[in-house]
Amino acid sequence: MRRTALVTGAASGLGALAAQRLAAAAWDVVAVDVDEPGLARTALRSPNIHVRACDVADSGAVAAVAAEAGPVHRVVHAAGIGPLGPGLAQPLPEVERVVRVDYLGTVHVVRATLPGMLERGRGELVLFSSLGAWVPSPRSSAHSAAKAAVNAYAESLWMEHRGEGVEIRCVCPSPADGPLPRPSSEQRAAGDSAPAGTPPGAVLDAVERSLARAGELYVVPGPLAQATVLAKRYAPGLLRAFLSRATAPR
Amino acid sequence: MIQGEKVTLPVRIRDAAVASAMFAVPAAAAQAVIAYSGLEIAEPRRGRAVCSLAFVRYADGDLGPYHEFAVAFLVRPPGAPPPSGPLGRLRGLAGVGAFIHWLPVNQPFTLEAGRTIWGFPKELADIPLDLSGRVRRCAVRFDGRTAIELAVRPGAPLPNGAGAPRLDAYSCMDGVTRRTPWEVRPSGVRMRLGGAAVRLGDHPVAEELRGLGLDRARALSTATVGHLAMTFEGAAEVRP
Repeated sequence: MRRTALVTGAASGLGALAAQRLAAAAWDVVAVDVDEPGLARTALRSPNIHVRACDVADSGAVAAVAAEAGPVHRVVHAAGIGPLGPGLAQPLPEVERVVRVDYLGTVHVVRATLPGMLERGRGELVLFSSLGAWVPSPRSSAHSAAKAAVNAYAESLWMEHRGEGVEIRCVCPSPADGPLPRPSSEQRAAGDSAPAGTPPGAVLDAVERSLARAGELYVVPGPLAQATVLAKRYAPGLLRAFLSRATAPR
Repeated sequence: MIQGEKVTLPVRIRDAAVASAMFAVPAAAAQAVIAYSGLEIAEPRRGRAVCSLAFVRYADGDLGPYHEFAVAFLVRPPGAPPPSGPLGRLRGLAGVGAFIHWLPVNQPFTLEAGRTIWGFPKELADIPLDLSGRVRRCAVRFDGRTAIELAVRPGAPLPNGAGAPRLDAYSCMDGVTRRTPWEVRPSGVRMRLGGAAVRLGDHPVAEELRGLGLDRARALSTATVGHLAMTFEGAAEVRP
């Protein structure tokens, strides 16, 4: 029997690659994004990718897409935004939008899909967070705060539903690995820097390996991201000093 | 036109991942397997031919996402004189092509495109594969029955830019033999000696491979490619 996956953020980056890999493996893929031309590129010549234009910040729209998809075995929630800006200067509507998409979007996707998985006693819920949730850096306050909320939410859910047959993963790639935030060229010119990251394919490989081992929660793909999380735990002052220097405007 | 869509040449594959293994097999038996093509098997060593097994995950490309399994043999270019002596054999390797003997895929668009555009011997199968684990694994199944399983252990990393950038793929369908220019741009390549395990089921091609001793052979070498971009030109008929 064909399995169904729901992939958000499927128009580009990690979400697009996740949708294409699942389609290659003969899954039925419901590919969700707000970017319709991007969705069409992802679904090129792939009759088992079904595209749906949907904003994850809209709980009703997410519920409708999930209801139409039927029983979903795997959710890959990669939709997210991450505009960068100084904490005090970033416009409030932009901050609210980040929280609505990154945090509440995750809540909407989980509420639309996890109950069915729990009822069936099986499923895989892959939520993309960010290394920024562990290690905020200057100009990433809104995104890092929203992703930290995603981590807390995922960890709480994971504790509430352990042993019920659903694998829950919270994936924290370094910012350079996508989905977001990626500094714009102007921001890079202004001195923002992003670490060289793990290729998107390697991030998804790490997710696959983790799903093959039952019961894990966090997936931190790549040696750089893992080293950063370790540094945060054991040498937080040193890491902060390094990040401040690395991201200081020159 | 393939399934109502216009496919333009060359066909481009932007992201694929591969695991493959090469085996030395008896040349006479291999020649008998590909005799229908009229092509001559390459013999890097007298009496030995090279059979290659590979599995590929196409994620992003002009033929859509799909999985593929390939059985190929190294062949001499049609019309090339048989090389003589050990040096001649080595020199003869420079122009060898890959004859694609069997190419099951798991999606209908690429099935039709492959058969129509290039005469590739594609057929529909279930092809589960795992390219993220410590051992790369693949199976080809028809109606739940396993035809072949291949496991490949990645080896040591090679510098990017290594490997053959251009080669010719040969195929033979309905009595017509074709040559397809094929360009590959690999990165994230790992290679080692040995490192493959083959399990053969009850499919006719599996029987042929069993006849070549593949179920008990040690692989010459195995290779995995983390990211592969490819270009396929149109096919031209060849008369060996």
